Formats: sequence, structure tokens, C-alpha cells
Amino acid sequence: MLDSFYIAWKYISYNRIKTAVLVACVTLISFLPFALQLLLNGSERQLMSRAVSTPLVIGAKGSALDLVMNTLYFGDERPEVISMQAANRIWDSELALPIPTYTRFKARGYPIVGTTLDYFDFRGLNVESGRNLAVIGECVVGARAAEDLKLKPGNSLVSSPESLFDLAGVYPLKMKVVGILEKAHTSDDLAIFVDLKTAWVIQGLGHGHQDVTQLKDPTLVLKRSGTNVAATAKLYHYTEISEKNIDSFHFHGNTDIYPISAVIAVPADEKSGTILQGRYLGKNETQQILRPAEVIDGLLQNIFRIKNVLDAVVSVVALATVMAIVLVFALSLRLRQREIKTIFKIGCSRLTIAKLLAAEILIIVAASGVLCGIMLTVVNRFTNDLVRMLFIA
Amino acid sequence: MIFVHSLHRWLVLFLFLLFSGANAGATEASLNVYVVNYPLKYFAERISGPHVNVTLPVPPEVDPVYWTPSIADIGAYQQADLILLNGAGYAKWVSKVSLPRSKTVDTSREFRDQYITVKEAKTHSHGAEGQHAHEGLAFTTWMDLSLAAKQAEAIVDEIVRKRPQHEDLFRANYRSLEKELLALDSRIKAVVSPNHTIPIIFSHPVYEYFAKAYGLNGRSVHWEPDQDPTPGQVAELNKLLESHPANWMIWENTPIKSAVDVLEVMGIKSVVFNPCGNVPPEGDLLSVMKDNVTKFELVFH
Repeated sequence: MLDSFYIAWKYISYNRIKTAVLVACVTLISFLPFALQLLLNGSERQLMSRAVSTPLVIGAKGSALDLVMNTLYFGDERPEVISMQAANRIWDSELALPIPTYTRFKARGYPIVGTTLDYFDFRGLNVESGRNLAVIGECVVGARAAEDLKLKPGNSLVSSPESLFDLAGVYPLKMKVVGILEKAHTSDDLAIFVDLKTAWVIQGLGHGHQDVTQLKDPTLVLKRSGTNVAATAKLYHYTEISEKNIDSFHFHGNTDIYPISAVIAVPADEKSGTILQGRYLGKNETQQILRPAEVIDGLLQNIFRIKNVLDAVVSVVALATVMAIVLVFALSLRLRQREIKTIFKIGCSRLTIAKLLAAEILIIVAASGVLCGIMLTVVNRFTNDLVRMLFIA
Repeated sequence: MIFVHSLHRWLVLFLFLLFSGANAGATEASLNVYVVNYPLKYFAERISGPHVNVTLPVPPEVDPVYWTPSIADIGAYQQADLILLNGAGYAKWVSKVSLPRSKTVDTSREFRDQYITVKEAKTHSHGAEGQHAHEGLAFTTWMDLSLAAKQAEAIVDEIVRKRPQHEDLFRANYRSLEKELLALDSRIKAVVSPNHTIPIIFSHPVYEYFAKAYGLNGRSVHWEPDQDPTPGQVAELNKLLESHPANWMIWENTPIKSAVDVLEVMGIKSVVFNPCGNVPPEGDLLSVMKDNVTKFELVFH
């Protein structure tokens, strides 16, 4: 038997291109359905576990999926903003704990999530090194984001401008990294957490600048009257919140109407959750309340429907590939008639010839199996990232 | 017979140990409450007695409204079981730190529609925002003693939520506190109302709620009790007196003699009405307020 494998190996080595094509075909056709299944399992696990652990999400009326993806996975979707009054409304109802989130800005490609300290307790997030948020201008970084950006407590991180060409826009804020979170194996690992007020400072709703009424430099004053001082555009706005200038930071107007993306509501019990849901059913209601598990379940149903179509396509392609491979072998046998005859004439039995051909097929199938295994291991290793890239981002 | 006797002893000992163990397990941890000023500390302590450990980490010589906490202080607030805020913009640091909302109670939120807005005298403009003033809120809400009672009510509600097993005691303590606050409120009204239009000067703009609640005819200046008045401040006061001929200035703390002398030359007498934002050296909030009212009788007699 070993001899048969030796001769088959020699034949395969000689016909490299034909063998490579055959191995590639068999590998791909066996890899595709397994990889798809892995990804779907991964997406179901990742999406559902977070959705199930988030009881209710409140946001502006519009795409339910966009709202849930932005609130739970900090995706690039931008649901319509609501105001802090939405969170206060839940607080005043005493039916649930409101956790506002504001996910709009990024820093070096990672989402900046503005929220309150309750978010960390709710998700069970612990600080691995450094400390939690204490004053505005600070940030706590998710484990993966910190790893990728090589950040540790004491470093700083600058928020990215929303548009490169918005020269008159908001100044980026240099945030102080005060803590790195423990790995949670969720979207929280890839986020940069700041206090809601810091997110408003990034947006320009809160800012710090020199005391306009005390300006000595005449080039900073456009007009000064008894009751008003108008500053020029030269007035320096602080781009970093430090111990020295924190007192100059202020918010204009009523912070109750400041924007947030959504509110995660954690009801005291099931009954409170149901009563709260009932309060958003009015005709003139501008907000929607969602159970993320239901929204994600709907998304997964669609993915599974697509998966069924893909399975059918893969089956047809697999059948065609198998038939093509059979054809390749049949043609190959016809081309090798003289060679087989020669082997027969030098004394090999028909069984030996069959063994030789079987050994060739076995080697090709085994090589494809190994290759497919390696590829599946790679996919398995990066399932979370691939799921994020394909279904979340 | 001896065996039965000894068995009884063992049984009694076993039951004693069992119950004493159960009682030890049932000892509740004291509720750890952090507050931002003394009136809230006083209310929380009056209501909850020994069941709550109330901390005001502001040094006694500092006015809590202008105090800035260190990172360690903020950490202590974050770790507390309950954080009592005064609301109405009291203590600017609160708007610049991260506190867990689930543990935080804004004791004046219930009457936020009664907040008093104060504007900076001078507006300014920069950037695209146009002309604006940094509006603020008057923050000494407890100076209106009926509002103080409402703040105490917000505290009792939250403490009862955290320790429902002592509800009866907490509610009874609150009712007693409310009664005292409202009695004092009535006494101030009785003292002030016959002559409430008498013009008075407040040394600092911290009496807005007090003036509104009791209908006082007061105007504020910015004089510090431990500093000599500058010529500018004296000129400003003289100008104010033209339209507001007051004979009394109300101080937060005992003013230095030179300031009192300057005022006396202008025909203005001084009297202290301590808002009691921090722990008083002697007495408590109510005794300080009672003392304030007694002094006030001089002004409105």
C-alpha cells in the first residue's frame, strides 16, 4: 500500500498544477459551508448575548435596527438624537434606571461612548489598570482598543474631527486616559468611554476659554461696551481639560436638552418594564422603546434566511464541482490509458492499478482536508472580528 | 434522669448559640451617605439617626459651595451608597465630575420650577454663539425653610427606599423635623411680614430664596466679611443707596470691625444671618437659624 502511495505521490508531484486546482476546488467547496456556519454561530452568540442582557432601549423613532446596533455595539449607524429629557422622563417614572449613551464621535477609529458610571455597573465592567472616570476630560479605554492603540493610564487620546474639511468646526479634545478595562469579549473592548459631559465638550456644547470680561490683550476684544464684551476669533479655547483650566469649562443653556443617542432602561422588574413600554405607545410619541432581543432576533432570522439561500447555492456549486472533479479524473484516466496499459503489462494487477488511483484521490482529499482545517481554525480565531466587520460595523 | 437534665442544658446552649449567631448575621451595615453641604447632612442625620453614616468631606473652614474635591474625594463619593446633592447648581464641581446616577439624589429636583435664575451683570460674545451671559441659579434653597422641608422629604423617601425596615422610625423623625422647620418658617414670617418692605442690603448674593420666601426688599453687593471694603465697593454701595435707602446690611459671617465702621459712617448697621452651609462651630442648623431669626427681630422690629 505504501508503494501505491509513493507512486501516486510521484504522479501528483509531477502534475502540480492539475493537483493544485483539484485541491483548491475540494478545499473551497468543503470550507464554505463550515465557515458560514462558524460565522453564523459566532454572530448569534455575540449579538444575542448582549441583546438579551439589555432589557430596554429608548431612542428616536426610526430604524429600530440602527438604534439597537448603535446602542449595543457602537456601530457606525447614526440614529436620530434625543435629549437628556428622555433619560429624566424614565428617572421620574421610577420604573427603571436610565443609562444614557451618546455614541457619535471617534478617536483614532474607535468609538467614543459618552455615558454615566451606571453603565459600568450594568455591564459588569471592571477597571484592570488605573481608575474609573472621575472628572470631565478623562477617558477609560476598552481592553482591545487599548491594546491596538498601545494606551495605558497616563497617556492621552485626541478625539477625531467629524469632518476633515470642517475648518470652523469643533476643536478636537485631548482626553486623559485614566483607566484600561478588563477584557469583556464584547463591543465594550473596542470602545473609549467618557462621561456624557465630556462627549458634550467634544461636540462643543461645553467649553473652556479665557475669562472674556478680564481680557487685557486688545487684539482679543472686538468690542467692549458697558454691558457686553465681544471677543475676537483669536480667543483661546482650551483643547484639553486640566486641573488648571477645569473651572473655566462651562455648558451653555439647559443640559436637560443636550443630545444623547439612546437610553438603556433597566427596569426594577418585568412588570415595571411592561408598564414603561406601554408609556411609549401614544400616537404623538416621538420616541420608541425596544426590546433589543426581539430586534436582534429579527436580524438573525433574516441572516438565517440568507444562509438557507447560500446553503442551496453552495450545494449546487458543490455538486457541479464534484461532477467536474469526476470529469477531470475520467478524462485523466482516458489520457493515461497508455500509461495504465504499460503498468498492466509490466505485471501489475488491476487491483494494484485501482489502489494507485485511490491513493491519488486520497492524497488530494487529505491535502484539501488539512487546508480546510487550517482555514477554519483561522476563521474560528477571528470569528468575533469577522462578525463585527460583516454584521455590526 | 441525670442524662435528661444534661440534655436539656445542651439544648438550651445550642438554641442560645443558634439565635445569637442569627442575630449577628442580621446586623445591618450602616448606610454610607455622602452629602454636599451641612443642611443635607443635618437632615439625613436627623431622619435616620444611627442607621446612616453621613459624611461631608468639606473642611470646616471652607464654604462647600466653592470647595473642589480631590480625585480621592470623588472616589469616596462614587463608592457611597447614597449621594445627596442640593441641586440648583449648588457646588459647581458636581457638574464636572462623574457620579453614578443610580446613587445620586437631587434633593431640590421636585421643586425645580421654583429655582431662581441669576445672570451675570456683563454679557459677552465669542464664536458663533453670539451675545450671552453665563446664567446661573441661586443655590441656597434651604434658606426658604418650606423648601428645606421638601428637601428633607426627598431625603427620607430615598433613605426609606434603601432601608425599608426602618420606615416608621424615619418617617416619624422626618415629621418631627418638618414640624420644626415649618414652625421656624412661620416665626420668620411673623417677624418679617409687618415691615417686610424695609430696604436692606445683602453683603453677598446668597439670600435669593430667603428674600423671595419672606418677601424681603433686599439688594445684593459683593462684600467679604473678612476683607476691608475697597473704595470701588463703597462707591457702588453709595450709588445703590440712592435708589435703595437701606439701614441694615445682612452678613453671612461676622464682619471685620473696619467694614462695620465704614458702614456705620454711612448710617448702615450690620447683622449676621448665617446660611449655615458648613458645620457650625456650635449648635446645629436649627439652632443657628433660630439665632439668625432672633437677630433679625432687630431689623424688622
